[in-house]
Amino acid sequence: MTRIFAFAVACALSLLAGGAAAEEGPLRDGTIGYVMTNLFWSVYQTEDAKEECPRGFNDGPREQFEKLFPDHRGMTVEETQLLKETETWLPTAEPDGFPFFEVEGRHSWGMNLDGETGPNDFIHPESGAEGIDNEVYRAVGCIIGFRGPDGVEFIFQDKAIIDERYNRMMIELAGVDDLANDDEVTVTLYRGLDTLLTDGTGLKVMPGGSQRVDHRWGESLIRKTKGRIVDSVLTTEPIPEVVIPWQNLSVPSIHLFRDFRFRLDLRAEGATGIVAGYADVDTWYKQLIRNDSTHHLSNGQISGVSLYKALRRLADAYPDPDTGANTAISTALNVKLTQVFIVHPDQG
Amino acid sequence: MKSWCNARRAGNGALLTITWLAFAPAGHAEYSLSGPVEAWVDEPMPPGFQVFPSELEGPVFADSQGRTLYEWPLHKQRNGYSGESPGTPACYDDVLTVTAGLMSPYPAGILLPDLDNRPSCTDLWPPVLATIDARPVGRWSIVGRRDGSRQWAYRDQPLYTSSLDREPGDVFGGQNNDAGGDDPAYRVPIGPAPRVPPGFSVRSTRKGRLLTTDKNESVYAFDGDSATATACRDECTQKWRPLPAPALAHGGGDWTMLERSPGFHQWVFRGQPLYDYLLDQESWSQQGNDEPGWRNVYTQLAPSLPESFTVQPTIAGDVLADSRGMTIYVYNCGDDSQDQLSCDHPDDTQVYRLAMCGGGDWRVCLDNWPYVRAAEGAIGSSRTWRVVTIDPQTGHFADPKAPGALRVWAYRDRPVYTYAGDRNPGDVNGGGIGEWRGQRNGLRAFWLRDDFMRGGL
Repeated sequence: MTRIFAFAVACALSLLAGGAAAEEGPLRDGTIGYVMTNLFWSVYQTEDAKEECPRGFNDGPREQFEKLFPDHRGMTVEETQLLKETETWLPTAEPDGFPFFEVEGRHSWGMNLDGETGPNDFIHPESGAEGIDNEVYRAVGCIIGFRGPDGVEFIFQDKAIIDERYNRMMIELAGVDDLANDDEVTVTLYRGLDTLLTDGTGLKVMPGGSQRVDHRWGESLIRKTKGRIVDSVLTTEPIPEVVIPWQNLSVPSIHLFRDFRFRLDLRAEGATGIVAGYADVDTWYKQLIRNDSTHHLSNGQISGVSLYKALRRLADAYPDPDTGANTAISTALNVKLTQVFIVHPDQG
Repeated sequence: MKSWCNARRAGNGALLTITWLAFAPAGHAEYSLSGPVEAWVDEPMPPGFQVFPSELEGPVFADSQGRTLYEWPLHKQRNGYSGESPGTPACYDDVLTVTAGLMSPYPAGILLPDLDNRPSCTDLWPPVLATIDARPVGRWSIVGRRDGSRQWAYRDQPLYTSSLDREPGDVFGGQNNDAGGDDPAYRVPIGPAPRVPPGFSVRSTRKGRLLTTDKNESVYAFDGDSATATACRDECTQKWRPLPAPALAHGGGDWTMLERSPGFHQWVFRGQPLYDYLLDQESWSQQGNDEPGWRNVYTQLAPSLPESFTVQPTIAGDVLADSRGMTIYVYNCGDDSQDQLSCDHPDDTQVYRLAMCGGGDWRVCLDNWPYVRAAEGAIGSSRTWRVVTIDPQTGHFADPKAPGALRVWAYRDRPVYTYAGDRNPGDVNGGGIGEWRGQRNGLRAFWLRDDFMRGGL
């Protein structure tokens, strides 16, 4: 790591070399870059959870196993462990006999993805906007593993955004006249190749680092869309399909989103906001269980078996042309980004 | 060095051909490894013990009959330990019947599968017994077993052979690049230290025995260099750091030195000046290979891939793929008994695999995880890659003429698979499917280059 740090310092020094360039700030030639440093499912939580989860939280694999097999001694691996693993890895939408507590509150973070206001839509907790589409929240909001600050998914999925380069997604805004207001900017999604520039703790990502664009492995991840900035809030047009690399516990996997869009509060040194769209249900579920396996799911009281059925039940978009069953589910993620200088190949 | 092989050098000395005639027991076919092989440091051994080169693990120790030696190191599990403490054998002939609950979330005390046929630990791992008059030598000692017999140990770890190994140099019982945090307590082959200068090491990878620094940084060579001259100077050295040799160092064997400038000596391996790459992001990174003319250095290359196979770029690195470009997967399995017996080989119980791939239905398994079929006439060119015949209903090896038997490709004697959930070349949707991210009863992709996964391969 020392040699990488030295290289990063050299890069930073070279970028700062020459007083004129240093005074330009991060917006240069109408272009500014940001790298993701936090990304996690938007879960609206009240202090005692009574509003969203009046019936409490869901059971996980350990609790379900004890209820199913109170006398497991004398039973076989096939009748117990492998039965549950089969249900996890070859899931069906059929009921599993356990109650599943969906979010029952009216509020949720997110966006109105379909432009409509329906009976299943949420209300934005701050703006009061109606029509918020976030059925992933309805599925996971009463599972403790998805709730902050100590849920296993909340910790590990978000932590991986900083730790793993595989997840190093970033956006570049081009054609920017003014970070406060601009009728049209171009937003390009890239993956970066480099570790992040942090402070001495290694935990806080600092603005001003550099990231090379990953054209080696990440070419297929590049997406481009248009956006507009109003009062320092960037809103983009939906991107038809986006693949986000996602590796929280050592298995390189992906999330697949349709109609993917950003709404970000922009600053020169960073941005915060949400991304939203429709997540492919099978990809969403497989990403979770491939990285977590039943052990980590258990630590968050996440029954993969029960959750899959909920995701299928709550899926609200992109019906399968043959079966009519929806294949995608509305969602939103809280995102934080830190300003970074994006280095393209011709920039050395 | 023991005269275990017929070694000769050709051309500039880079090619060393090994022929296995000398120690191949009667009835075993001649077997050849061509290309440079890894040199090792000689050390005193018990009488009759030997060193054999292997295809993937480099040189390994073997007993007097040429059987590769393994140890079973203590391995921390989620709820306890399995394996052996130094000096304390734990592998015996008891047939264990229930799970140990070592890995959450499932509790102990559940009946293990196929109990009528379940082997004991020593059925699969015969201990390497020492005669009554055997004496310790060097790092080799003798430990007592509970029946009073004496067992050889290396660095105090009791030693075993594997029931899966058939010929000298076979290492089907275990690998050195397993032993991840949540892996089963694997048995691992042991071998002599590689003959490399201080500051270097060697690591087993799917491509071969990778030369690294002692900090696990992969080492590179440049096509424009020679043993006596380097083309990498000035600006080049801002990204490529010549690996310095101490002033008092002297070469030997495959190793020489190049004096780049007065007083600065650079290590040279088989005529190639060595560097590391300053832009490698992690210690295991191999990104320097993307620079024209630069490549990693191996003490020994892994056997060639089957001709019909391809290498497929993905968003996570290079993966091995079949002729259509579809990702190839390897099944991994270790049970939750205190013995941690393997369940990933066709000779093992198939209960775990059939549950994971098809809910116990072999037909569903064939749909979800089809074997990689071998073309008619295809044969393996190595012990690492060979064509085997499988009964798809049982998952066990089958007579080639048995009805319904399939000819499939096997890696290390275990069939490989593709995944029905992969739609296009470059998809790796099956990696990590199964218990413990595919490490204990599941499948992992066959990665050939890994820039993102901590070198786990």
